[in-house]
Amino acid sequence: MISAGIDAGSRSIKVVLLDLDTHQVLACGQTNQGVHQEALAQDLFLHLLEQTGVDQSNLRGIIATGYGRNLIGFADTTVTEITCHARGVCHTVPSARTIVEIGGQDSKCIRLNGDGTVRDFAMNDRCAAGTGRFLEVVAARLGVTLDALGALAKHAKSPAHISSTCVVFAETEIIGLLASGAAPADIVAGVLIAVSTRVGAMAGRHVEDPVLFTGGVALIPGMVDCLKETLGHPVCVAPEPQFTGALGAALTSASP
Amino acid sequence: MTHCDADGPHEWFRRMISNCLQYARAAHAEGRPIIGIMCEFTPREIIMAAGAVPVCLCGGSAATIPAAEEHLPANLCPLIKSTYGYSVLRNNPFLEMASLVVAETTCDGKKKMYELLSERYPMYVLELPQKPHEDSGLAQWCETLRRFKAELELRFGVPITDEALRAAIANMNQERRLRRELAALMKADAPPLTGRQLLDFKSRVAGMERDLVQLELALVALRSQTELPARQNRVRVLMTGVPMVHGAEWVLDLVEDHGGLVVALENCTGLKPILEDVDESSDDPIHALAVKYYHLPCSVMSPNDDRLNLIRELALEYRAECVIELVWQACITYDVESYRVKRLVQEEIGVPYLGIETDYSVSDSARITVRVEALFEAVLQRRRSGSPAAPVSAVQEARPDDKT
Repeated sequence: MISAGIDAGSRSIKVVLLDLDTHQVLACGQTNQGVHQEALAQDLFLHLLEQTGVDQSNLRGIIATGYGRNLIGFADTTVTEITCHARGVCHTVPSARTIVEIGGQDSKCIRLNGDGTVRDFAMNDRCAAGTGRFLEVVAARLGVTLDALGALAKHAKSPAHISSTCVVFAETEIIGLLASGAAPADIVAGVLIAVSTRVGAMAGRHVEDPVLFTGGVALIPGMVDCLKETLGHPVCVAPEPQFTGALGAALTSASP
Repeated sequence: MTHCDADGPHEWFRRMISNCLQYARAAHAEGRPIIGIMCEFTPREIIMAAGAVPVCLCGGSAATIPAAEEHLPANLCPLIKSTYGYSVLRNNPFLEMASLVVAETTCDGKKKMYELLSERYPMYVLELPQKPHEDSGLAQWCETLRRFKAELELRFGVPITDEALRAAIANMNQERRLRRELAALMKADAPPLTGRQLLDFKSRVAGMERDLVQLELALVALRSQTELPARQNRVRVLMTGVPMVHGAEWVLDLVEDHGGLVVALENCTGLKPILEDVDESSDDPIHALAVKYYHLPCSVMSPNDDRLNLIRELALEYRAECVIELVWQACITYDVESYRVKRLVQEEIGVPYLGIETDYSVSDSARITVRVEALFEAVLQRRRSGSPAAPVSAVQEARPDDKT
């Protein structure tokens, strides 16, 4: 039997097809988020089915997660991204005790029990500081792509100080820094530190190893090193971290 | 049960504001003073014994907040701002009718707001000592209440007799007993009502006879209800933290709309003020009142261990599977105390905890929903793995002197 996990995130939709008997991922795909997210998710889902040759009659469950989970009408049920990231991480790294997830508009820190269940979690509140959205704003302001941010930060000589509490204020600070001639590399390095600081505050002092890093932002080079430094703990990027939520969703179909 | 349907108590309390307004207007027309109160620390009995009508003025509306922010900082608790906003807009009929507003020196935000309110309304602020386990604090509070009694006698030209005080105490004890017994129905596996329905059995005016009749009817009807709605699958939640005054119940609704059942509400609009009665047989009714009200475990008290003990007891009695703490934004005392609550819940009681900080606007409800749903997913996972709700051993060890 096959299950499908659909992670309708704020910036992109991710789908994972999972073989429930072997626990092997059969296919995964990603598409940009848009206004008609159910149609976007369905197109991607059908495309993956076609690609793998899986017959719909073999599907045991379609589970949606992410902020748009309730809009995915063809899903059988929904599970929150907190539970899904925990499931996804424990599938690949059963010993994990802490998860830092940074997505498009959310960042969260999840503490796990010994059996991989969620012990507790903290999430960002009303502001997107400390999320992927913050990095996007910065990249756009500096005229570079998101992928290039990390490489740029490597050239920093003295990271700029950027407050980590509000995206809008941070953007004004960046404009000010640019006007005063600060190097873009120093600004980017400052922003990565600001994001890590924000997430580090959420994680608190009781970070338990191993720490796994998930969500699309984990793919940005340099981010994980910055996080390591802020947390003072080794941090591993989960395999294909952008798909952890969708994988976790597919896994909840195996056992609820 | 028919008693609780269209014309029963649920319907009566749905019309709560208009019932209270009608009552207050009639009393006002008869020449009885209307006295506004702001907090559970106010001994309503002294006001009632003066022949006056105590009316709660706490604001639960987001609509009055912009007006309040003309005078008050934006970064202040919404309860304070909403209450004050009504005074700026002059659209709280109870406040406009009031001959006096009584308040206490509780949190800093309230104290400073009262100073501004007193520029436009007659106010009397009781000084509340904040060390709950010091006899000198109780003695001082008792003296404060004696002066308050004298103030009312002088201001309204009526003697407040011990007999009148005892009658008011009996009246309020009766109200507390009825509300307590209704709340206790939530201990059942399948309670006959939701947390929201229970919360709605409330009134702006204390001790109104018709309210008491309806509470009694509700109790009889709910106790004899045979067809109970299946609520066993709901997650049993203990909610604690700030009060959810009339109009500001949205977080509780959100919790119950996403699979929760609020079986116990440990706050000032829930169980906290009704668990202890006033000693009716005391020779000194003012002292008896001082004792009861001084025991309120509000977060302004320091240290506030009594609140932690109460949460521990309620989690056991009501078999809570998790604790959700609500803190209104910028409520410093509850916000700081939440660290102790979280530690108690996770480490001693041993059930999941979720803290929610928000205000009267529902703009972050989607984000809060994710947290609540994730909490319930964790609780249901615990259920499947056989973890007990509030483990009995932990609670009993912590309360060796508990008679129950």
